[in-house]
Amino acid sequence: MLRKITTAVIVWSVVLGLGRLAPPADAAMLDPALSAEAVRSNLFEAQLSMLVDKESARRSVADARLAYLAGLSGSISAGDPALDVRIRSALEAAATSVEEGEPAALAAARARVWTGLLHASYKMVMRALSQGDGLAARTWLRLREFRPPTRLSLPSTDATVAVEEFLNGKTSPSRAQDRVRRDLYDAYQERLRVALHELKQADDKGFLRRRAEYAALAQGYFDLLADAYQEQRGESGREEAERAFADLLDAALGPNAIADPLSRVEQALAGFRAAPLTEEEQARRAAQLQRFLSLVPVEYARGVRNGQVTKDFEIFEAIAFADGAMAAFADLQPGLESRDPMTTAEIAQLLSALEEQLHAAARGIVSDPDDIASVAGRIEGLVADVIPEEWLSQTEAGDFDLIATLLDQMVQAAENGEYERAESARLEAYAILETGPEARLVAFAPHIVPTLENLFWHGVGDHRGLAALIEEKAPPSDIDATRARLIDELAAAQDALRAGGSPVAVATNAAVIVFREGLEAVLILASLLAGLKRSEYRHLRRPLWLGAGASLLATGLTWAVMREALSSLARYGERLEAIVSLTAVGVLLLITNWFFHKSYWTDWLARFHAKKRTLLVGGVGQWLGMATLGFTSMYREGFETVLFLQALVFDAGAGIVLGGVGIGMLAVVLVGVMVFVFQTKLPAKKMLIVTGIMIGSVLMTMVGKTVHSFQLVGWMPTNPIRSVELPYWTGLWFGLYGTWEGILLQFGAALFVIGSYFLAESLQKRRLHLPAADRS
Amino acid sequence: MRSRSLVMTILALALAYFVAFPSAAQGQQPDLDGIKAYLLQQCAKLEENISALKEVADAYYGLSTQYDFDYSALWNQETETVRSLLLQARSSFLSANSAYELMEGIVAGVPALAPFDVDIDAGVPSGEGDGDVVRFDVPLPDGNVLRQPGNFFYLAELTLWGTNPEWTAQGVQPDLDGNGTVDFAEVLPDANVFKGIADAFLQKSRELSVEAKAWRPRESDAFTALVVMIPTMDEYFQAWKESRYVSGAQAVSPQFVATSRLQDIADILHGLQVVYTHIEPLISALDPAQAQQIEHELSALRDFVLQVLSQETAGVKFNPEDADLLGSEAQHRATAIAGQIAQAAAKLGIDIQG
Repeated sequence: MLRKITTAVIVWSVVLGLGRLAPPADAAMLDPALSAEAVRSNLFEAQLSMLVDKESARRSVADARLAYLAGLSGSISAGDPALDVRIRSALEAAATSVEEGEPAALAAARARVWTGLLHASYKMVMRALSQGDGLAARTWLRLREFRPPTRLSLPSTDATVAVEEFLNGKTSPSRAQDRVRRDLYDAYQERLRVALHELKQADDKGFLRRRAEYAALAQGYFDLLADAYQEQRGESGREEAERAFADLLDAALGPNAIADPLSRVEQALAGFRAAPLTEEEQARRAAQLQRFLSLVPVEYARGVRNGQVTKDFEIFEAIAFADGAMAAFADLQPGLESRDPMTTAEIAQLLSALEEQLHAAARGIVSDPDDIASVAGRIEGLVADVIPEEWLSQTEAGDFDLIATLLDQMVQAAENGEYERAESARLEAYAILETGPEARLVAFAPHIVPTLENLFWHGVGDHRGLAALIEEKAPPSDIDATRARLIDELAAAQDALRAGGSPVAVATNAAVIVFREGLEAVLILASLLAGLKRSEYRHLRRPLWLGAGASLLATGLTWAVMREALSSLARYGERLEAIVSLTAVGVLLLITNWFFHKSYWTDWLARFHAKKRTLLVGGVGQWLGMATLGFTSMYREGFETVLFLQALVFDAGAGIVLGGVGIGMLAVVLVGVMVFVFQTKLPAKKMLIVTGIMIGSVLMTMVGKTVHSFQLVGWMPTNPIRSVELPYWTGLWFGLYGTWEGILLQFGAALFVIGSYFLAESLQKRRLHLPAADRS
Repeated sequence: MRSRSLVMTILALALAYFVAFPSAAQGQQPDLDGIKAYLLQQCAKLEENISALKEVADAYYGLSTQYDFDYSALWNQETETVRSLLLQARSSFLSANSAYELMEGIVAGVPALAPFDVDIDAGVPSGEGDGDVVRFDVPLPDGNVLRQPGNFFYLAELTLWGTNPEWTAQGVQPDLDGNGTVDFAEVLPDANVFKGIADAFLQKSRELSVEAKAWRPRESDAFTALVVMIPTMDEYFQAWKESRYVSGAQAVSPQFVATSRLQDIADILHGLQVVYTHIEPLISALDPAQAQQIEHELSALRDFVLQVLSQETAGVKFNPEDADLLGSEAQHRATAIAGQIAQAAAKLGIDIQG
């Protein structure tokens, strides 16, 4: 059957070939991919049949040789005569092994022929690109292999896209060559790794033909990568590695043990990466490794209770994340080995152990979640020790990758009807956005932030939000549509972040952040300080100052702590902001109420205090209230401001950012002084009204932002106002977000302030109308 | 006059173009409705055969009830009726299995339908193995419930071929084929389990039909099905290697005793060929050589599997090393094909769903 197919292939190639395309550069060239497949499958046929039908095997090898000579030899010999000779020699070896009845030798010869063809194809693509022949490059590129696909990775398309872009005049030959080289080197290095792994397996099982074949495949793949190896390790290094591979093949072809040459091969490959990852790619993989690792114990703990697996899907997700961590580590391993071989080996060992534990759990042998957390934590610690510090600052690409992965899982879960799991994946993805890229997005592309948040929560335009869709158990296709839109927005966000900013832009962004976040606090402080100008209340200015000062200290401390543990603490930012904001709002409500009432009820207060003899207690209460207000109103945004600013430090350095901070603070102080001076010059009644308006405005903003924080961390429901779409800056500056909860509570806060004012005034009027005796 | 020449020139150029690029003349639109029609046709066959299986299960359960579940008495008194029923059940199972495998590439490869594949053909019992666990329980007529017991074909096969002794009648050794000896897999199923499984299976196959009717195929679905499903050959060959067909009595898997896994592989590939045929015009319009390469290699892969199957059917016994070699060859081809389809999708700007 296969012979018929092969014959058909050759005839078909001749008849159709590239006939319908423009004439190929080499008129003798048939379709290389099909010709190569004919060679390969004929040799496989020979391998299958040689033990039962030698004549058939002989014919198959002859057919393979014919397919090579008719379809490939001419082009390959023109491009690289030495390769042509090697392939012919391997074909001769195949024929000889059939004659001599050596199945292992035939298996090895087949592997040598095939890797030779892959090598030739790679060279032909590079040559075609350098000659400006995009069509030939496209044709030869169809003869290639790919990384074995996994659940988390699809076949790479980089080389194809590069060639297509070259054909369309969108990229230069050298740039296209670079991308093709990277893609193919990456694929073949992975194939080399797999071949060595399979070699060990075949050796363990005593599969001698398979052992020979994998040894020859490994040698062939290394040959393809040898130029890169020589560039990195020099000519002598290459020669030594080639000797190790040759010895390995010799051992595999004979009855000898392969442990020793295999060990030499592994040593030669330690730390080698044919297509070295760029710094950015390495940082990306490192971020993926850290992120995936951090999720393994989280998922595992959710799936296990009292030594039993209670939620299978959580265990499978833990396994999927561990697989992702393994894949990221495999990419980093060569580079890490050259930095710290001991630690790298320990990480590899622990990762394997972790995978084994997770797979065992899937089979019912359940490890304690604390053990899993401990192993994952240990690996995270080792990874942090061995990777360069600067990689930690470039985690965004990894974050975006992980968000995309989690959103895919969300859709898959919805398709399985597991909406609880879908919600879990959505929240996980959102938490990563919040604790990772959002800080820089706020600085560099603030207009994208609300769109992203709205897509995660209640929706944008025609796209309902993911939270709402999942809650309603909407059809998976609807969830997928919003996911797709979100992915587009995330891509735009990534582009915006990649563009980064000039030092001036960074400093300006820092200044704007400090000004915006500091404005509310300064308005409160200035208004209250002005309101407390009367001598009997001057003593309350002190706790206000002290509270504000303490908040600055706390912010400074936060800065220092965040520098050490930015990523681990960042995920608590939203919650911390929500709690501190709630405290600030509560205290501000009390103070507002007190502020209006004390202005009218001075006498009453004094009498009250005297009567109850609680002057001391009341004084302490006021003092604490003021100090708390001073602290919370300033620190409320302190944590997040530090987060934003540190994100900017990664972009431009502390000096530029601190310069911007200085400008922002100066502007804030100026506004504060102006407000204070303006208010102190007002008559008492007007001052009271202006202060009321100021505090009321700030209170409304704070309420809006607090509600938003609560909604973000899932502590308050979210009911969007669909008829209104507010621009992003209304939220950023005034806490105005288009949800019923936010707007109604802001309205309530305004009512409270106004009501408090009128209540105080009416009580004052009633008091003035009372007889003097009653008043006393 | 000049305009007439211009028109003639344009017509001549158009003719030359369509001769040079016949696929362009055929149109560049994929026939997604054709894929759906094929899917629905297979769904109907599955439902039909599972309905037949359920009828047998009902009849067998009714008979068992008459004998108060005394299977020895049942076999002794109703030998021919029971034999006929069980052979009919096995035949329906095999037809249903083939009907499903012929569309499994679409069901398992399209994310929106994939959960059905877990329940019908791929899911493992809760607490066993690393794969996806089925989402359903099977209530039995006696009030017991099989909790997330594994996919339906697995359940039906283990019950009908007796590779899970708990689901078979104890204390009776029926010579179903009447050859004078009680061979491997000659058992009477536990009527209670058999009926429970058949009822639930029919319900699931009807749900799949409903979902398939509602499915709106997209180009991305078709490409994703091909890229995701074609490279799974290794898993299937692994299952074949561990089955009785290769490992004989040493087989560790209780599954794939009814039919060789190779037949399943060939059927799955046939379904994927159907999918590819319907999207081929898209690829062909962009890169005819690539389209032909994919078509040819996909066809060659299936032929390769059929060749091994025909040898197996002819009595060739493959040892584990042979199975390993054949599996890796199939996987090699499959990875290459999926890679090429992924390249074509990238050129066409079609998203492969992760």
